[in-house]
Amino acid sequence: MDIAAQLTVNSLIAGSLYALVAMSFNLIFGATRFFNLAHGALATVGAYGTFYVGVVLGLPLSVAVAGGVLTAALAGYALERLVFRPLRARKASNLVLLIASLGILIAVEAILAIFFTSQFKTLSVLTGAAQTIHIGSAVITHVQLTMFASAVLVCGTLWLVLSKTSFGRAIRAVSDDAEVAKIVGINTNVIIAALFVIGSAIVGLSGVLYGLDTGIEPRLGFMLLLKGVIAAIVGGIGNVYGGFLGAFLVGFAENFGIWFISGEWKEAIAFGLLVLFLVFRPQGILGKKHT
Amino acid sequence: MQEGKKRNVLTVIVLLIVLIGGAWFFAGNLKTSVTGPVRIGVIHPFTGDAAVYGEPMLRVLNLAAEKINAEGGIDGYPIEFVVEDGKCDGTAAANAAQKLVNIDKVEVIIGGFCSGEALAAEPITTAAGVALFSSSASNPKLSGISPLFVRNYPSDSSQGVVLADAAIANGMRKIAVLQEQTDYAAGIYEVFDAQIQENGGTTHKEEYTTDSYDFRTSIAKLQAERPDGLFVIANSPVSAERIFKQLKEMGWESSLLVSDVIAGDPTLVATHADLLEGAYAAEFGVDDNNPKFREVIDAYSAKYMTEPPFQAYVQTGYDAVFLIAEAIKEVGYDGEKIAAWLRDVESWQGASGTLTINSNGDPEVGHRLEVIKSGKIEVVGE
Repeated sequence: MDIAAQLTVNSLIAGSLYALVAMSFNLIFGATRFFNLAHGALATVGAYGTFYVGVVLGLPLSVAVAGGVLTAALAGYALERLVFRPLRARKASNLVLLIASLGILIAVEAILAIFFTSQFKTLSVLTGAAQTIHIGSAVITHVQLTMFASAVLVCGTLWLVLSKTSFGRAIRAVSDDAEVAKIVGINTNVIIAALFVIGSAIVGLSGVLYGLDTGIEPRLGFMLLLKGVIAAIVGGIGNVYGGFLGAFLVGFAENFGIWFISGEWKEAIAFGLLVLFLVFRPQGILGKKHT
Repeated sequence: MQEGKKRNVLTVIVLLIVLIGGAWFFAGNLKTSVTGPVRIGVIHPFTGDAAVYGEPMLRVLNLAAEKINAEGGIDGYPIEFVVEDGKCDGTAAANAAQKLVNIDKVEVIIGGFCSGEALAAEPITTAAGVALFSSSASNPKLSGISPLFVRNYPSDSSQGVVLADAAIANGMRKIAVLQEQTDYAAGIYEVFDAQIQENGGTTHKEEYTTDSYDFRTSIAKLQAERPDGLFVIANSPVSAERIFKQLKEMGWESSLLVSDVIAGDPTLVATHADLLEGAYAAEFGVDDNNPKFREVIDAYSAKYMTEPPFQAYVQTGYDAVFLIAEAIKEVGYDGEKIAAWLRDVESWQGASGTLTINSNGDPEVGHRLEVIKSGKIEVVGE
């Protein structure tokens, strides 16, 4: 069956995109323990950053991509300093942080719509006509291949940083227990700010790649966030590598699922998988059981 | 004497009945005169994928209103629009209709732009006795839906039939369909599918939600069917843009049929000229030589420094305002009477040509077959 090869490629493309969102979501969640919905907005900020630098200012693709990722990282840092850190200092509950992040998600969408209109825009000016590579009977474009490579590279780099550096040890300490980490002399605020910068850059990259692949609109971050969060929970909430695995599981389930039923059920399959995990394995693939 | 008195009393009673009854009867037929700015509701999509229509179409309505107002308005009063966002979505359109009917108390609404909006708003406006006039909703289910609903854009029953006939005539028997999950797209598919089956063909349909951005697996499935052609029924150029890009990436080969919203977007057609070469579409056409059509296109181009997109909708939107203004001048500001007047329109000359509304509230015009050649739309048989 030649269709199976194409479906495998499609699953890997979708999974790569979800993986970038899920890994960065889990990276931040691990240390902050709140559901940061504003994470999706940063994907949109990244995509529009690239649009601004590449299409409005007319700079080359590499500069545009770097511009988008950098904008997202800066925006993530700004959100942490201006909104989340003050709320944490006030001992706000996770529910308050969740609602604040939802507010940010909606506000960012609205602000982007005001400046760039809510109309759909393509970034094909930057990439030119899509160049494709044939793998057997399956087809993949350069942008999609970059998505897959980015997901794998980001996962590998995060593993190196988290397990081999003292900065990584500090992150893991904060993720294990922020209070104890503070007692042993780790500046948790600095670690969390760094995680916001790194996580926002990664999710910004996912927005940029999504934009280069399919075009941009202010709602794109929300659509990415939904799938990313499902992948994060399925993989094990707060676990970076779990997010990576969960993302590909969701990608494969969606694409092979709609081989047999109509494409309109794609969302239903992803959410169905989420419900199955919540009921039968709430800690996710790699998550630890919390007591 | 007694007899005479009785007869007098009877005569007075009969006279009273005639007078009161007559006054009541004639009062009912008197026009509700206009005593201030004439408020017309508008339900169009201003957010979401279909937002690409909302803004340019509102500009067209405003151009028409400015012209009417400059020429003295309606009985000396200007037209004012109360604009609501229907988001091309039933729930939002129903909320918009509730607000326009109950809070703004308008007697006539232009909209919904999308079929889904019109289908959701109609029960609310009908119950309130408010006229609903759509210049673009084309779902066949809207035909004859209510005496208070009128449209000057043809039903998609003709679009589906024209395209199915063209497909069969070109030897397509097995046709793949990629259809957005909206009332507009579903309406076209139903008619198309019935006509294809009647002619011994088959269709294989994949649906997608408006939010979808990844069509690769649906395309791969349809490709595996080895169809003679693919009919893309998108509700807005946004999903069409993504589908065309992915079709190209995946090396789609068989001929294409596209819905009228795709053919109505010259940029989209030009961008994907190579993929769309030889593709068929059926549109409610425009007549470049019609002076009223030129009037709105020129006015738009002069004011907004660009030609308006979706010109088939531009012409009907422009006409809608003039028709409603004429109706209010004739019968007053009363929803039921406005609707009755509009449903009676015969040989009215506007930007969309000669308009006659039939007993279903539909215009007596249809779609014409077009083919895409080198990124441009050509009318077949001209």
